[in-house]
Amino acid sequence: MRTPAYRANVRKLVIMAAIVLASAAAYMLVEVNFSSSKLMNYALSLRAPKLIVMLITAFAIGGASIVFQSIINNTIVTPCLLGMNSLYTLIHTAVVFVAGTGSVIAVNANLAFAVDVAIMGIAATVIYSYFFKKTNHNVLYVLLIGTVLTSLFSSIQTTLTRVMDPNEYDTLLNSLVASFSNVNSEIIVLSLVLLAAIIFVLRRELALLDVLTLGKEQAISLGVDYDKCIRKLLLGVTLCIAVATAMVGPISFLGLIIANLSRQLLKTYRHSLLILGSAFFGMIVLVIGQLIVEHVYSYAVPVSVFITVGGGIYFLYLLLTEKKV
Amino acid sequence: MEVRELTKKYDGKTVVDSVSFTIPKGKVISLIGPNGAGKSTVMGIISRLIARDSGLVAFEGQDISKWKSKELSKRLAILTQTNNIQMKLTVRELVTFGRFPYSGGHNTPEDEEIISRAIEYMELQEFEDRFIDELSGGQRQRAMIAMVIAQDTEHVLLDEPTNNLDIYHATNMMKIVRRLCDELGKTVILVLHEINYAAFYSDYICAFKDGRIAHFGPVKEVMTKEVLGDIYNVDFEIMEISGKPLSIYY
Repeated sequence: MRTPAYRANVRKLVIMAAIVLASAAAYMLVEVNFSSSKLMNYALSLRAPKLIVMLITAFAIGGASIVFQSIINNTIVTPCLLGMNSLYTLIHTAVVFVAGTGSVIAVNANLAFAVDVAIMGIAATVIYSYFFKKTNHNVLYVLLIGTVLTSLFSSIQTTLTRVMDPNEYDTLLNSLVASFSNVNSEIIVLSLVLLAAIIFVLRRELALLDVLTLGKEQAISLGVDYDKCIRKLLLGVTLCIAVATAMVGPISFLGLIIANLSRQLLKTYRHSLLILGSAFFGMIVLVIGQLIVEHVYSYAVPVSVFITVGGGIYFLYLLLTEKKV
Repeated sequence: MEVRELTKKYDGKTVVDSVSFTIPKGKVISLIGPNGAGKSTVMGIISRLIARDSGLVAFEGQDISKWKSKELSKRLAILTQTNNIQMKLTVRELVTFGRFPYSGGHNTPEDEEIISRAIEYMELQEFEDRFIDELSGGQRQRAMIAMVIAQDTEHVLLDEPTNNLDIYHATNMMKIVRRLCDELGKTVILVLHEINYAAFYSDYICAFKDGRIAHFGPVKEVMTKEVLGDIYNVDFEIMEISGKPLSIYY
């Protein structure tokens, strides 16, 4: 069905894609010295991986957030509730605490990424697959478990930092802030492969998202194997968030902002459009944010600070304006 | 459809106790009974929303748990009262979902025609492009029914369709139920609280008490002083209006 509303939405998405392209071009080319090809190549080779990482992160977080909200049937939940941020923080603190900042795991980015993905992947599978079954497929219990685990992880992490060597803590702090700088090409390729695999495995469930938003009873009436579908999607969302977090650090709060911006702009139930919109918003926010961080603030403030401040204000705005919470 | 020896326990308390009955085709069957009698649980089990502990729900000779979800959804539609749709959906888009079991989201011109007919049947043409959350309760209910019609199933299960509706909308709802059966030849099974709606608009009544079937039969057999008094523990008078037995309780 190609209604006028649908065409209008496609038009909006095309405009957004153009803005994404423009901001990506701006990010690559601002203040590049074109007179010397050596300097130009150097600048581009520094910026290209960061840009790619931002695009991947935006897509993973944006898509996962929309899916997560649709599963929970609530548009003000954020995938932060899944506890992946605090788990990431805990893993890194524990590594530094046990092995020190000079250890292989802390220094080698590839190894750190592998450890992060493995631990978060296992935790996600156990928590969000096993417990979901155990609690008779009650999504709210899963959220509660996520919230409790978040405090548990944070408490352990705080305890560790209290007894840690101050110098080590100083070094650690850097890796606990989301950053796009220390991601190498091997990690990029691995993340892409993982995300593609998740999407491929979930392709059938993703096609059911539109129907799922009608609610459990109606979805079952229309022939959806609801519990199994929700379980798979929830696991997929958690893994997506885990990959993105392992790649750049705790950033999933971004999802709340971009998913809601996408819902506000597109006003549709079609998830194919919503996910694209959310991903595009994420790309624009990250790329322009990083552009400002690099050229206006000269790296003094990380982009996640803007996301958290802006996101917090936007979250309050959503709470106050949303009537049907 | 046949229900055999259905049992369900919650925390050791038996809420449905070896319930067996056969649902006649092409009729309206109402499940009635006091609160906690197990009628909604039986409905939930038949519509595969609630897992049973033991027993069998045979649909066209095969247990519902052995049916493929998709195949079953072409034969059995469910409508419950808990539809809090969060999405921005127009009436037509909602009705379109009724074709999902057939089209998987990719509608053929034939599907579109069935959708248009369902919307016409529920007289929703002028609201076709309005958003669901902008409609009144009665209109939204009709949109949901239009979706069920588009789903084109032989059986329709309705869980307390008159709940939260005023007399006007509730009566309209029951008239629609009758039309689904008489004009479209569907078997409609519904849970009702109002005995008189059940008496006036259905063909069979299945009365529950304490997790068991107290009485199952044609309306006139169930709508007697003795049967109703026994089920509800309240005094009843039965009157006949337009050839239908109606009850007065006090």
